[in-house]
Amino acid sequence: MKLACSMLAVLALAVPVQADDITVGFAIAKSGWMEAYDTPAATAAKIRIDEINAAGGLLGNQIAVVDADTRTDRAESAKAGLDVLDQGAQMMVVSCDYDFGAPAALVAEGEGMNSFFLCAEDVKAGIQGVGPNSFSASVLAPVQGATMAEWAHAKRDARAAFVLEDTFIEYNKGICTGFEWMFPQLDGAEIVGRDTFKNDDASIASQITRIKSLEKAPDVIMLCSVMPGAAAAVRQIRAAGIDALILNGSAVDGSYWLDAVPDLSGFVLPVQGSIYGDDPRPEVEAFNKAYEAKTGARPTSQYAYPGYVLIDLWAKAVERAGTVDGASVTAELEKMQAEPTAFGPRSFSADLHHQNTALMQVIEITDGKPARVDEWQISQPVPLDVLMGK
Amino acid sequence: MSIQLLFDALALGGIYAIAALGIALIFGVMKLVNFAHGQFIACAVFALIIPSTDAVAVMGLGRLPALILIPAVLAVGALLALAAEALVFRPLRNASPVALMVGSFALGVALQNLLLVLYGGRPKAVSLWADLGAPIALGPAQVPLLQLIVIVAVGAILLALALMLKHTRIGLEMRAAAEDFGMARLLGVRANRVISGAFALSGALAAVVALVLVAQTGVADVRMGGQIMLVAFIATVVGGMGSLAGAVAAGLALGAASALLQAGLPPEARPFRDAFLYALVIFVLLFRPQGLFASAGAKPRV
Repeated sequence: MKLACSMLAVLALAVPVQADDITVGFAIAKSGWMEAYDTPAATAAKIRIDEINAAGGLLGNQIAVVDADTRTDRAESAKAGLDVLDQGAQMMVVSCDYDFGAPAALVAEGEGMNSFFLCAEDVKAGIQGVGPNSFSASVLAPVQGATMAEWAHAKRDARAAFVLEDTFIEYNKGICTGFEWMFPQLDGAEIVGRDTFKNDDASIASQITRIKSLEKAPDVIMLCSVMPGAAAAVRQIRAAGIDALILNGSAVDGSYWLDAVPDLSGFVLPVQGSIYGDDPRPEVEAFNKAYEAKTGARPTSQYAYPGYVLIDLWAKAVERAGTVDGASVTAELEKMQAEPTAFGPRSFSADLHHQNTALMQVIEITDGKPARVDEWQISQPVPLDVLMGK
Repeated sequence: MSIQLLFDALALGGIYAIAALGIALIFGVMKLVNFAHGQFIACAVFALIIPSTDAVAVMGLGRLPALILIPAVLAVGALLALAAEALVFRPLRNASPVALMVGSFALGVALQNLLLVLYGGRPKAVSLWADLGAPIALGPAQVPLLQLIVIVAVGAILLALALMLKHTRIGLEMRAAAEDFGMARLLGVRANRVISGAFALSGALAAVVALVLVAQTGVADVRMGGQIMLVAFIATVVGGMGSLAGAVAAGLALGAASALLQAGLPPEARPFRDAFLYALVIFVLLFRPQGLFASAGAKPRV
């Protein structure tokens, strides 16, 4: 206990918070498995905070950062929320995932404060699940699925699709929902089969047997899954000799898993920006370099980017509102229509604190090498009732 | 049933059978349900790569040729289990079964967090024997080589274990200990030797499951092993606590049922495959609460 107290004291000393600073509280996973996802986005958020501070601060004040560890635990998440509140947070940044971020976000909501999920892509991580002052700066999972559907149809002549859904988390369901909404609307396109698996299934042999026994081999397989199950599924699909183009969501971005499927080709995913140094927008590469300068390594996936965007958008709204008061900032955020950011325009409305359409970069993996090949924005936003799974 | 389905079912059942055997062996000799078995599997997987929290994994043990790699990983599993026995379960040997079980849970959590500290929370790619996934035509079926290897290896392991249990001194002692541990000790069976032997075997079996999982999926994740541990535990219950043959049979049956349900259920019901699977388990237990092959030691005596 004594040790813990003295450690807390040291931490408190390390981040001196001035009385007139604006304080942003990070209630995020600094340990446990979620840490690998929260840390890059939080680092990106802090890069934007440093930039704002260097340019003179926000409303003339410096932005101070306080944080608390959720330990990848739902109960600890609420405690971490209270902890950053006690440390004077005026806006709260919470864990990437809805389940782990929501308990802290609800604490912020209870205080009438703004909360931002680091990279949640479930519509619940906002008005619908937390409350009127909660936002996410990432792109909704159904938008990613719909982007893949329309792009593959337009650019790769995909007409027959097989949908393989991993029932592990809501994100996967969102990807498949978006794909299944968009794909059948397209000219001549048809979903020829569906199956499900579980992320930790030891084998998906039965599912592969189903794909192989289709009368006509599908042009594309929409795989709605996340690591590690996604890599396992791709390895087994390719090993079985199925060569169809495989589509996935942004969650599998990064080259770290590619050793699992040697010489993988024909694997496509949408991202908010390319980490591979080939994004056509110079701001994206400038961020990648800034991230490398701060951490010693380039981002391992696109999930650092929403952290940068969220601080960018929130700070703009605070400047316009002239205050950090939750309701006033929310009103300014909701006025944003195609607000430019380094990673493309972002919009919020009184109904939706998420992106229901976005310009996405298309990454294709060929011979085990990922590269940006295209960009795509869906022709119509994903409607709210589809997002809500109705 | 198509041949394809038969192979899918046998391969999955084989993995579950080996995992269930690992749990049943330890339960047999010391009435301990080792909930850390899943983490033994995860540790054996992570032993293949060099500890680092970097996103890209660098192969360590995994770089060795299979002839050295397989015994090395089996040894890692066995040594880990032996160490767990010596450090955790031996001091608890006279504690109540509930305390033992809680101890095994604690060990599992500790091992998982050790992996998190050493390797970070992100899943890692482990490219081990990628060629084994290549399909081989067997009549109308396309069977991945790995499935054939799993089925043959499971058969060989079960045969070797059966021979060991029937014909060697340690095997005889284990069977005696599983029957009635107190009586076996009175008759001169050395408790430490039998229990250590069971742990070593169980750890090696966990390593077999680990190798199959890695070859199949190509990834290492700190949470892996948990699902297999759960199925394997259920298999030991369905098979009859303490019965080795029962655990193997039930493991095979659960894997086969899972593959058949996946193939046979209508699309709307497929996400609930495991609910159907466990409903079957409840159904079996309603008729045979003591399990399919209850051991003599599990029956209450007057």
